[in-house]
Amino acid sequence: MTPALEINGLTKRFGEKLAVDAIHLRVPQGSFYGLVGQNGAGKTTTLSMAVGLLRPDEGTARIFGADVWSAPDEAKALVGVLPDGLAMPERLTGREVLTFLGLLRGMPRDEVLRRADELLDVLELSGAGGTLVIEYSTGMRKKIGLATALLHAPRLLVLDEPFEAVDPVSAATIKTILRGFVRGGGSIVLSSHVMALVEQLCDHVAVVDAGRVAAAGPLDEVRGSRSLEDTFVALVGGEDGGVKELSWLSR
Amino acid sequence: MAVALTMAAMKVAALCHALRGERAQSAGLGAVLGIVLAGGTIYLAVRDLDLLAAAYAVWLLGWLLGPVFMGGGDETLRPEYFTLLGLPPRRLAVGLLAAAFVGLPPLVSLTALLGLVVAGARLGPVAALVAVPAMLLQLAVFVLLSKVAVGLVGLALRSRLGAISTGVLNGAILAGLGQIWVVFLALGQTGVPPLVRYLPSGWGLLAVRGSWWALGALAGLIALLLLAWAALLRLRVGASRASGRARRPFLARTADGAIVAKELRTSSRDLVRNYQFTFAFAYGVCFAASPLLVGWNGMLPYAGPVFIVMAGAMAANVYGTDGTALWLTLMTPAASDVRGRQLAWLATHAPVAVLLTVVCTAVTGGPWPLILALLPALLGGAAGLVPLISVYGLVPGTDPHKRANNPLRTSEDEGSLTGQAYLALALIVATALPAGFVAIRFGWAGVVVGIVTGALCWWGFGRLASARLRERGPELLSTMRTGRKAGGTVQSRFTELSKPRKAVAWWCFGFAAIPLIPQGILAAVFVSRDMLHHTWFLATYMPPGLRYPVALGFVVLGLAMYALGTWIVLPSRQPGTVE
Ligand SMILES: Nc1ncnc2c1ncn2[C@@H]1O[C@H](COP(=O)(O)OP(=O)(O)OP(=O)(O)O)[C@@H](O)[C@H]1O
Ligand SMILES: [Mg+2]
Repeated sequence: MTPALEINGLTKRFGEKLAVDAIHLRVPQGSFYGLVGQNGAGKTTTLSMAVGLLRPDEGTARIFGADVWSAPDEAKALVGVLPDGLAMPERLTGREVLTFLGLLRGMPRDEVLRRADELLDVLELSGAGGTLVIEYSTGMRKKIGLATALLHAPRLLVLDEPFEAVDPVSAATIKTILRGFVRGGGSIVLSSHVMALVEQLCDHVAVVDAGRVAAAGPLDEVRGSRSLEDTFVALVGGEDGGVKELSWLSR
Repeated sequence: MAVALTMAAMKVAALCHALRGERAQSAGLGAVLGIVLAGGTIYLAVRDLDLLAAAYAVWLLGWLLGPVFMGGGDETLRPEYFTLLGLPPRRLAVGLLAAAFVGLPPLVSLTALLGLVVAGARLGPVAALVAVPAMLLQLAVFVLLSKVAVGLVGLALRSRLGAISTGVLNGAILAGLGQIWVVFLALGQTGVPPLVRYLPSGWGLLAVRGSWWALGALAGLIALLLLAWAALLRLRVGASRASGRARRPFLARTADGAIVAKELRTSSRDLVRNYQFTFAFAYGVCFAASPLLVGWNGMLPYAGPVFIVMAGAMAANVYGTDGTALWLTLMTPAASDVRGRQLAWLATHAPVAVLLTVVCTAVTGGPWPLILALLPALLGGAAGLVPLISVYGLVPGTDPHKRANNPLRTSEDEGSLTGQAYLALALIVATALPAGFVAIRFGWAGVVVGIVTGALCWWGFGRLASARLRERGPELLSTMRTGRKAGGTVQSRFTELSKPRKAVAWWCFGFAAIPLIPQGILAAVFVSRDMLHHTWFLATYMPPGLRYPVALGFVVLGLAMYALGTWIVLPSRQPGTVE
């Protein structure tokens, strides 16, 4: 079966700095794939290259077999993306953003309006009917971003830190939605710093460290008998476990 | 005092960093230019005190307008930097004021104000003595008025009404500067109006001339301005308010329609766009109508065309102002974002442009063929060039939700933005040249040419922009994300330009229209129709053999000025970048 997302040797250099160093990843169809790594490990850079938002120096990315760079129309129609920290059409309301994007993706208007209403309802954004996105809070921005990723019912979701700044109630809703999506045959790649969350949701995991894959595969294979957190610290932390203290801060 | 001294020291440090290397050279050139102007001002102190008062009024105008048009002026030290220190606003204002006196412009202005001492010396020892405090107070008034003006504009741009009225005001003032010859002509007829003496810019001189109350007035004005500025600083640091009313539903059914609808909504809701639109409108109307002051209505029909050119120039960074929202365009490659934006630009601007043109031309009764040729040519040209310039010469904007409290500042890189606007101005004008020439030579045939070139520009430039967006979209997004150019992107040379060269470019674009259009093209038209001794058209006063050559000379001068300005701001490839 063609993988939902296949990353082959993606490499990105920013000046002298090698941000992503020939990463290989295979996200099987129907899997819930977690990408974990320290700050600056290269998760955002990898995901941006995987969906065609950042041009790699080397390597390829395929979504259901369609190359993101040579067959962008096909590849991009199959994927829903939640990027980290990018703007939206800021002077539109949440509903308008969804309507706009649905039409942009060629969906019929009635269907777009129906789904937009449902998404806003579920994500508890319908209360902010007249509020422009520019006036949204950080968590609301994440949620409207997630709604845009889900709107066209893609086969693959690529989510960069979807739970950051989201309140616990909305987080529970989002988890339910995502689980349902995977149960229905969809595939998800998400990046996160919260190991507990990845353990709870994902069936596959890749640990990224300094632009390389330190370990990847089904969750149970990667973590073995330990918790994911211990595995992670062992994989990417320094010799002393990577934990340092500020002596002057404790009295 | 400690705060003031610290801030002044910070400013000195920042300037010293900025003045290393190449920029030291350009600063030196700027100083020379400023000193020349200041020298001219001092010379007036020897010649004619009324003219000196007028000169100081011009200096004041420079202080008022310069920062507003250069995107908020000198922001080396920003009020936001100090919010967390919890300084009382008045001490913050005093501190920032102390810092504002550090720099080249205050120094140059102080030199110009030496004219007061010279004038005083001519009037007697007491007057010379009074001139010293007058000079310092006058400088403080310049600097403070400039700060308060920027603050007020920033504040006004938070409400729609404010944005619109600021646009009207700025458009009118800038058009007045572009048509400064009208002012000179009018002044030539009436002399310097006495009012100029009593403007705040003339109070220092009044004091020197014996009206000592003016010194007190200056001090009082300074106190008032300081209070106003402190109040503005407090307001600026607060956030703008949110809106919560119900919105019209989206009626579009297709992808293109959705893009148009999004753009239309953005234009009506984004106060910066409100400002740009009204600015362009006011500029067009005032530019074309100001010669009415000297009883000449030949310029009036051009209100619409000038509006189109200005509006196009202001919109030339469409993609930049939307910031990283570009990612959505990249994720939906099937939809044609460029076409939608073009349509939206036309939908907002064409009706106004057409109406303005028809009304104004009807008032003067012609020349219909020329005007109706320019109209479609410019509309199509601008609609084509706006997206094209914005993808090829993208100036990375600050994402709307991350903008600081100065709404005029849509990008950190104001210099490039100005350069881009001028480039757009020149290119849009160029798209209408064929239609204009044919219309002048063959009349109505020009209209056909205008429609054809307009449609071609709309279609062709739009296609080029779409292709570029498709090919280099990720690079544009990277540029927007980091605020830096990714490899291979075109870099406007305006960024690296030194201030004096920017000033030269400014002057070239600002005033090239005078030799080119009225003194060149229009004068030639008048000569060809035997309309001699026509108001201020030099060529119509020449002996027969010299009329066309003089008009042609002006056309060449105007074109040369545009060429020089374009050459200065022309985009150049950054060395060592890879495609
Ligand atoms: N546009 C850029 N220019 C220069 N360096 C960059 C750029 N984008 C990312 N980097 C660098 O690349 C490395 C990887 O960054 P990336 O954003 O992919 O990390 P991340 O794993 O997403 O981190 P976080 O968990 O903090 O989001 C970092 O060292 C970062 O400094
Ligand atoms: Mg990241």
